[in-house]
Amino acid sequence: MIEIKDLTKVYGKQVVLNTPELNIRKGESFGLVGNNGAGKTTMFRCVLDLIRPNTGSVYSKKNNVATTEYWKKYTGSYLDDNFLIDFLTPEEYFRFVADVYQLSKGDLEAFYNEFEEFFNNEVLGKRKLIRNMSSGNRQKIGIAAALMPKPEILILDEPFNSLDPSTQIRLKTILKTWQHEKEITTLISSHDLNHITDVCNRIVVLHEGLIVQDLVTNPDTLRALEEYFAVKN
Amino acid sequence: MFFRFLLLQIKNAVRSPMWQKNLALNLVIGFFLLLFALYLLMMGLLIGQIMDQLFPHRDHLVLINSVLLYYFLADFIIRFLLQSLPVMNIESFLHLPVSKGTIIRYMLGRTILDVFNFLPLFILIPVTFTIVLPNLGGTYALLWIVSLVILILSNNFLVIYLKRLLGFKPVIIGVLGVILIGLFFLDRVDIISLSGGSFKAFNFILHHPVAILLPLSWLLICYMLQFRFLALHLYPDEIQKKKIEEVLDHTENKFLKSMGLTGSIISLEFKLYFRNKRTKTILYLSPFFLLYGLIYYPEAGSYNKDVLLMFIGVFMTGGVMLNYANYAFGYESSYFDSLLTKNIDFSQYIRAKYYIAVLICTISFIITIPYVFYGFKILFINTAMYLYNIGILSLVLLYFSTFNKRRIDLSRGGAFNYQGMGASNWLAILPAFLLPFLIYLPFRISGHLYTGITFIGFLGVLGLFFSGFFIKKIYISFHHRKYIMAQSFREK
Repeated sequence: MIEIKDLTKVYGKQVVLNTPELNIRKGESFGLVGNNGAGKTTMFRCVLDLIRPNTGSVYSKKNNVATTEYWKKYTGSYLDDNFLIDFLTPEEYFRFVADVYQLSKGDLEAFYNEFEEFFNNEVLGKRKLIRNMSSGNRQKIGIAAALMPKPEILILDEPFNSLDPSTQIRLKTILKTWQHEKEITTLISSHDLNHITDVCNRIVVLHEGLIVQDLVTNPDTLRALEEYFAVKN
Repeated sequence: MFFRFLLLQIKNAVRSPMWQKNLALNLVIGFFLLLFALYLLMMGLLIGQIMDQLFPHRDHLVLINSVLLYYFLADFIIRFLLQSLPVMNIESFLHLPVSKGTIIRYMLGRTILDVFNFLPLFILIPVTFTIVLPNLGGTYALLWIVSLVILILSNNFLVIYLKRLLGFKPVIIGVLGVILIGLFFLDRVDIISLSGGSFKAFNFILHHPVAILLPLSWLLICYMLQFRFLALHLYPDEIQKKKIEEVLDHTENKFLKSMGLTGSIISLEFKLYFRNKRTKTILYLSPFFLLYGLIYYPEAGSYNKDVLLMFIGVFMTGGVMLNYANYAFGYESSYFDSLLTKNIDFSQYIRAKYYIAVLICTISFIITIPYVFYGFKILFINTAMYLYNIGILSLVLLYFSTFNKRRIDLSRGGAFNYQGMGASNWLAILPAFLLPFLIYLPFRISGHLYTGITFIGFLGVLGLFFSGFFIKKIYISFHHRKYIMAQSFREK
């Protein structure tokens, strides 16, 4: 589904990302962990064609993401606040996203129904602009908008950050259901080893831009990861 | 403590990435400020001669004292519109053992350092020396200038108090408006005389030195009003009050809806303009662009000043659009990443922006049509300039906007706000004002004035006709530069 080849990104003299090869298969739930500055966000930005890598390319369904745009139709993403249009209300923002993906009114209604529990009455119908909402609710809006077009690939950067415990659990349920029923390919980064081992069946550890571990999740993975990070510090 | 706070604020300003990025720009602004101050100084020194020219045989001091009240009213209005509230992150001090009084005294004292308090001195001090001193002697001259400085400071504290109050009681802006308009109206129909009152008041101070206690107590009142206000509201959420805007339920515009993606982009841009402080300030200021003609047109003699008329034409029908198109992408910096990752056809996107630019020009043009009152030549020139604006200038500006390279903070006011303005923005303004004149020059030299102006309009129509081609060029430039834009927009 996603192939990364010879990807490097250098800022000044610092190599922030160096991935000779990485393949993510369809339906895989791919987790990315690593300490601050390990290159997680940089990798996601390269996959989304938001930064130009120094060398190498990213291919989505065999097409180079930098030279084609078709991948945008089946890729949903939320990396940070920059993905929200903060002077809109959540409804207006969702409407805009729906328009962009040419979804019908019925699709939008279905979306609202599906995410009613996730929003927990804190997002819709508040007549508030997104910029006046708490970071947790903004995060909910961003994640939901990424899922709205029912993408085949979902990319989330630290999605559990600033979500309350109930919403964290709901997000995990949504991810697992979609992985199971819709065979969605998910790319998620997180600092929370518990969550990431829970929702990902493959976990890659980045350190200073390099892939240092590539694990298939099993009952021992959490302990292995904890050991790895305990030693590192 | 005061100086420690001040030092912190200076550090805050100097170390902010904006300051370093805009260093050259800050120097330019500083230079212009200096130029303006020198200009005021000249005015102050020459004001005697100016008054002799305009109002011969009248006493200088009487004249000056008569206009002072007008001056302070104007100063009040200008400050109300333009002076920004000093921002201080009080949160970082409130939890420390610093008394609230110290913090408030700093917040109040800091406002004295505003440029609005210093600029008037450049004109008032020379006036004191050239007019008041020879007339009344040293003691009274000192009395005069001190009372004026007191009033300047009173205005300073009053305006900031009212602006703070505005967050709690928005209605006061209406009250102030009614009072000011009422005053000017009553003055106009000679029920009261502001100039007479002004003369009497300041003359009174000059003859009864004890009366300086009056402005002094006014200053004290303004200061205490604000001190008390801050003492009651020294909480971060009340001082730096973020207004929670209530938004009406969203109704979709049927017409825009029928335009598909283009329509949703246009409606997005409208919301951008109406819901952010910086863009709103520009909207409020835009009527002034359109009133520009009133300054020059009444001088009917300007008929042969064709270049000036062209300049006014470009400015009036394109000034508002210029601000839009110059930052077409910069204004979107806070969600640029989002746009890039969504399923958006960017040539369609750029076309939508072009439509908006054309729309803004067209509205501006329609509003300026009544200027035909000052002659058909004006309508003729404005029409040609309007065509130039929609056919050429808007496309040139959109092209340059793909060189926008700075994140723009839309939550800050727009007047005198050059944040996010890069070299490309300045460059882009040049063709606005140079190109039509360059085209016009050969016609003017050879005496074919009307042909020249018609030709500029014709070029505009041509540009409009081939806009698809130019939009493609803009799209290619956008495509090349999107990583650079995205990268720089992410840097806060």
